[in-house]
Amino acid sequence: MAGTQRQRGLTDERLDQLGRVLVRASAADHAEAEAVASSPFLYARLRARINAEAERREAGESWRVLLGVFWRSAPAMALVAAFAFLLFWTATSPATLTPGVLSDEAFLGTPDAGFEHVVFAERNPLSNDEVLATILDDEEREASR
Amino acid sequence: MDETADNRDTTAALDAPAAEHGDAGPTDAALVARVREGDDPAFEELFNRHRRRVALVAGRFFRQRERIEEIVQESFTKAFFALPEFSNQREASFAAWVARIAFNTCYDELRRDKRRPESPLSEVSEEEAAWLAEQLADETAGSDIEASATAKDLAGKLLSRLSAEDRLLLVMLDVEGMSVSEIAASTKWSASKVKVRAHRARASLRRVLARFL
Repeated sequence: MAGTQRQRGLTDERLDQLGRVLVRASAADHAEAEAVASSPFLYARLRARINAEAERREAGESWRVLLGVFWRSAPAMALVAAFAFLLFWTATSPATLTPGVLSDEAFLGTPDAGFEHVVFAERNPLSNDEVLATILDDEEREASR
Repeated sequence: MDETADNRDTTAALDAPAAEHGDAGPTDAALVARVREGDDPAFEELFNRHRRRVALVAGRFFRQRERIEEIVQESFTKAFFALPEFSNQREASFAAWVARIAFNTCYDELRRDKRRPESPLSEVSEEEAAWLAEQLADETAGSDIEASATAKDLAGKLLSRLSAEDRLLLVMLDVEGMSVSEIAASTKWSASKVKVRAHRARASLRRVLARFL
């Protein structure tokens, strides 16, 4: 039993030792890293990437600002909407409506006794020429008398 | 132990050009201050000082040139936009800060890799399996096999079977020679979590290798 454990211990030790060697072997090749580090246009590419990232962040930032404005204005908008609804509700509630409010009388006004109300229902108003012609006709009529 | 010391020397050597620049021209902190004021050439200077280090960090995890360049660009883009958060007092140095960003970028890329379906290229061939079994049986086989092309190809395939966390930790421990506290500072994990994860990472690698015994 002790012999097996010792054997196992030795195996683990050997595995660890070879594992370290392999880990170092995997990282031992510097040729590619050196080639990348000495690439002449590496900074130009990095600068382009930074600029693209800055633009992306600015676009994200403007959306965030818009969202912030909307978020801040939401309570005010809700308040205005509530006020408008209240106004509409109180204006149209049966308690505030008087009978005949929406009838023709309400629109044209209640006729007073002894006065004649003239309602011009003509849609097209008189032109200046028509008015002038009417005045001239009246004057000619007066003159002929 | 000596191998770890060698790795530390390599890491120090990789940082040496930055230190040289620091002596000759403005310090990294001064350049960072200028970039914050909108001085683009100052960022180019920072990039030129640390590009090699970031490329080498990426090269620890990826072997294709396109992927290494992608990591370099992604790391410096993140660094550019995170510069306002960089504090020279809190961070050990700009070099350490940008290296941490590079490690995190590699980690994210490894995690993305794990979500993709396995490539047939990651399958271990019969010849490679036989070579590995031979190395495992040979008590005298050691670091001399590191440089062999078979070891490099096989190592890439075997490590691709580990989780992103395991791979990151093993590279930080065995290649970069980083201490537990350094890894904890770099990954923002607690020291105890680093220790537990390192233990698990070694166990995972042992399991992968044991299949070839």
